[in-house]
Amino acid sequence: MAQDVVSSSGKLMAPIPTEARRLALETAGAFENDGFRIRDGEWGATLSKGAPVFLQVTLFAGENYWFVAASPVTGANLRLTVYDSSGKSVKSESWHSSLKGEGTQSAAGVAPTQSGKYFIGVESTNQTGSPAEQLVDFSLVYCYK
Amino acid sequence: MKLATCGYLMYPGIMLTGRNFGVLALMAIAFHGAQSGVPANSAMTEPQKQGAVFLDALSVPSPGEVFSAMNKACRPNWATLVTTATAPVTTERSQLALAVGVLTANGYVAVEAQDGQQVKNVGREMMALAKSLGVSQSLLGRGNSLMEFADNNDWEALADELEATENEVKNTMVEQKDHDLVTLTSAAAWLRGLEVATGVVLANDSLSGAAELHQPELARKLASQLDALPDRMKRGSLVPAVKRTLETIASLLEDPETKVDTLRKNYTRIHNDCSSVVKAILTSSTTLPSPAPSTTPSKS
Repeated sequence: MAQDVVSSSGKLMAPIPTEARRLALETAGAFENDGFRIRDGEWGATLSKGAPVFLQVTLFAGENYWFVAASPVTGANLRLTVYDSSGKSVKSESWHSSLKGEGTQSAAGVAPTQSGKYFIGVESTNQTGSPAEQLVDFSLVYCYK
Repeated sequence: MKLATCGYLMYPGIMLTGRNFGVLALMAIAFHGAQSGVPANSAMTEPQKQGAVFLDALSVPSPGEVFSAMNKACRPNWATLVTTATAPVTTERSQLALAVGVLTANGYVAVEAQDGQQVKNVGREMMALAKSLGVSQSLLGRGNSLMEFADNNDWEALADELEATENEVKNTMVEQKDHDLVTLTSAAAWLRGLEVATGVVLANDSLSGAAELHQPELARKLASQLDALPDRMKRGSLVPAVKRTLETIASLLEDPETKVDTLRKNYTRIHNDCSSVVKAILTSSTTLPSPAPSTTPSKS
């Protein structure tokens, strides 16, 4: 989550985003250039190996969405999956980047044909490192058009 | 230089760095060459569905999303949908929180109508509400940005700033241990958005856009969140009325009947119930007005 900062005068300043959020917004910014609007909000959590986490969202038929998750951990191998209200996975586009020293970013794009409740699943498929190293902080944002 | 306002603060570097252009290039590849298909995890378990996180800032669609869907479905005449509204005079924090949501949605209507003066008016009213809630200090910059973007007819930046302003009010509520108020703001914004959207749907013979608004689960979820509020917040008639409205909307949207006449009847009821409760939220007394006559919005 973003951290509040207090200036030397004691006044509350704008919060500083986490590195995960910064990376997620940087990636989503590219979609913004393609006409997508980014929601002002994030989902930040910690992933452990083999334990996906899920976010409930409400999507509109006819709209296009990209969900972007990012982690400062290079090689975190974030996988995003979109599910409908019954829990079945939905056909989606996917994009992934994990360059050395630049963290991990993944995106899933979906164009629902029905309005309603959907779920976004996030999991780390990183198979290396100790259990502690397999804990991965991530931030998820989404954009629509 | 225009600042990207896609978060809790502005990020002057995000959109313009060389790194970003690199990401953009990768995205171009992603849009045209991404792999499609069903992922490895083909189904969620029931406990996973029950345990899914519901986040106010992402799980509840913003009025901007509702209106974006309406734009694709039926191209509303937004200029006819702009309304003037003033913040209610009240000391009830629950009503103030509800009013923030309604005014935010009004701001989105004004942005869609590209009515800069009305956006400024909404901005001023939101600042008044923030002052009443004791959360205005951190919002002064947002208010100034709204005015500046309205003066420059920067509609996309205005839409972003409206959502950021709403979220900043909510964040301050959380900091002040008033997290329950956040639920009220989200519910009211959605109800006002639904009032506007159902009015648009009812104004065309084919009810274009009705399917896009079919979200009974969200109405049920918001109603259950209001039901879980502390008793002190459910005193008076307003919060219970909002909850009842959400439950009624959920029931009407769950109606399996798809005949146009039935749909029109249901959406008219939804529209009128939303109108009634929005009117109550913006009324300086928390006494609910008399039930509105069952009228269908005029066609544009």
